[in-house]
Amino acid sequence: MQALEKARPADRTWADAGLPERAVLQYEVEQFLYAEAALLDARKYREWLGLVAEDIHYWMPIRRTVTNADLDREFTRPGDVAFFDDDRELLEMRVKKLEAGSAWSEDPPSRSRHLVTNVRILDAEGELITLEACFHLYRTRLNSEVDSWVGRRVDTLRRTGAGFLLAKRHLFLDQTLILSTNMSTIF
Amino acid sequence: MADGAQVGQAWDSGSLRSLFDPATGLLDRRVLSDEGIYRLELERIFARGWNFMCHESQIPEPGDYFINYIGEDQVIVVRDEEGRVNVLLNTCRHRGNALCRAEQGHAKSFVCSYHGWNYALDGRLIGAPGQKTYYHDDLDRDRLGLAKAAQVDSYLGFYFATLAPDAPSLHDYLGEVGRTGIGMIAAYGDVEVVDGVQKNVIGCNWKIAVDNLFDWYHVPYSHASAQSAGFIDIAEILYPKNQMVMLGEYGHGIGGPGIPREMQDRIDAMSDEERLAYSRTLPSTAPRVRPHAATQLMGPVGVRSMGHPNIFPNLWVTMSGLQICLRLPRGPSHTELWWFTIVPKGIPPEARRAMIRQANHVFGPAGLLEQDDGENWSQSTRSARGAASRKLGHTLSMGLGRDTAAPGEGAGASYIETSINEHGQRWLYRAWTEWMAARDWAELKANHTQPPTGVV
Repeated sequence: MQALEKARPADRTWADAGLPERAVLQYEVEQFLYAEAALLDARKYREWLGLVAEDIHYWMPIRRTVTNADLDREFTRPGDVAFFDDDRELLEMRVKKLEAGSAWSEDPPSRSRHLVTNVRILDAEGELITLEACFHLYRTRLNSEVDSWVGRRVDTLRRTGAGFLLAKRHLFLDQTLILSTNMSTIF
Repeated sequence: MADGAQVGQAWDSGSLRSLFDPATGLLDRRVLSDEGIYRLELERIFARGWNFMCHESQIPEPGDYFINYIGEDQVIVVRDEEGRVNVLLNTCRHRGNALCRAEQGHAKSFVCSYHGWNYALDGRLIGAPGQKTYYHDDLDRDRLGLAKAAQVDSYLGFYFATLAPDAPSLHDYLGEVGRTGIGMIAAYGDVEVVDGVQKNVIGCNWKIAVDNLFDWYHVPYSHASAQSAGFIDIAEILYPKNQMVMLGEYGHGIGGPGIPREMQDRIDAMSDEERLAYSRTLPSTAPRVRPHAATQLMGPVGVRSMGHPNIFPNLWVTMSGLQICLRLPRGPSHTELWWFTIVPKGIPPEARRAMIRQANHVFGPAGLLEQDDGENWSQSTRSARGAASRKLGHTLSMGLGRDTAAPGEGAGASYIETSINEHGQRWLYRAWTEWMAARDWAELKANHTQPPTGVV
């Protein structure tokens, strides 16, 4: 990795990065995203929290069905109403809730599959890597409950000595009316 | 599909009244599952009652609109050029197509995407392609405007509409208890709705989502994991031995914690500044202490309520006055929940952020409390369909015959101070049977029960 960083002088941006640098980082990032998804699917929420940065912003604004003329108001803005607008403390509460033994909406537990695709690195400067991905979170619970949440997300990863940490996850769901009893899950 | 009137013949007044027995608290489970009862509810509850549409701050400018529902009738709530709020049925008078397919936005007029009929913001038909060439100028435009709600009115900026021309005025319909419910929001001053309505659909009957708001019995158990997670301190909000239920004419109710009179006396002696300072010492999930102005809006009894109002049929106000929720019926087995977040105007950005943060995390589909409600309701609804299980009834007997109701401040209201109970649920279903049994407003006015006083 050091050799690759040397290949890109400090005054050049991610847009100038060569193919080898792009390919290696793409591989590293994808492997992180897959490992993270596997932890969530395996319900290893506490371990997942270990991949979350102290300054995480985990946010899912509300999307509205609007006309083309009103597309600038399709999503609620930061600070307005959202489905998730979590910091680290809130995410820890969500995990504690799942571990409590009395989170009835997850007992029996849901079965989930976090599919992450179309990963594109938008920027990589210093320790921060910003990427865009498509997600499909499939959840089924009890015998007949099925939820399927599809959308686009923008993540920021921070490279540390111990690997990547998730520093931002902004989720842009495709549904406007949420066709689910709840979202008692982590995206 | 039978319409309401046909079904009404199958469900005569006597059998509708027998669906809930106030003397025992036994509720027939068919109210949660029967298709005929549901069709009749659309006629006799939703089309007849006053339904919450939106807050004035959601449609400030001419042309601003918000889509809502009266039962399953979709309506456009729109401010016209004169600044008036119109509630228009979202269905073209030509072939029934929806004029407006967005859920909110801004429009100069509403043009049908099928053939191009064009309606003004007040619903007038202002044009149709081919009026001369194809219709030969005999299209009766005056008769073919969009259908409108029979009455539209607002209270403290909250707009309501009814399809019934003979419904009482909004003021009289809300009565003391309904006005107290809105007062719970307006108590903190002029308010505005924050951008973004959380909407999700739950596989439950709308009434079980409504009656749950009177149900403080479920809080320690259903929401135990929110306590374990450190999100709420149930003891700080529940006060199981200090519960107050307000019963209002036509089925409105408020249920939940009540401030004991002697504590309210101490609050009354505090200035608004002292109340604010005291509020800051409370947990962030506890409601703020109300200012002096609240007593005018809510009355000396209502101001002591820290419970959840339901404005009949389906508008829940949260005790903090921070959120309201519509429970919109979608067939007997599905309900849409729409959460609106409301904050006082002109408060410091930090306080505004804290309130919105709180609202985002309590209710709504990802809310740390509400996550655990939906499946209880959907499984209760499911069990109302089984041939054997639907005959078992629901048991709403808690506190029955053990409490005393006192008259409210004015006519049409009473209140009970007791411990955790099911008075609110019983009042809701008792009123519901009366609404269902009455064929029109005249019958309902003549035959509904006044909020009881004495032993309840």
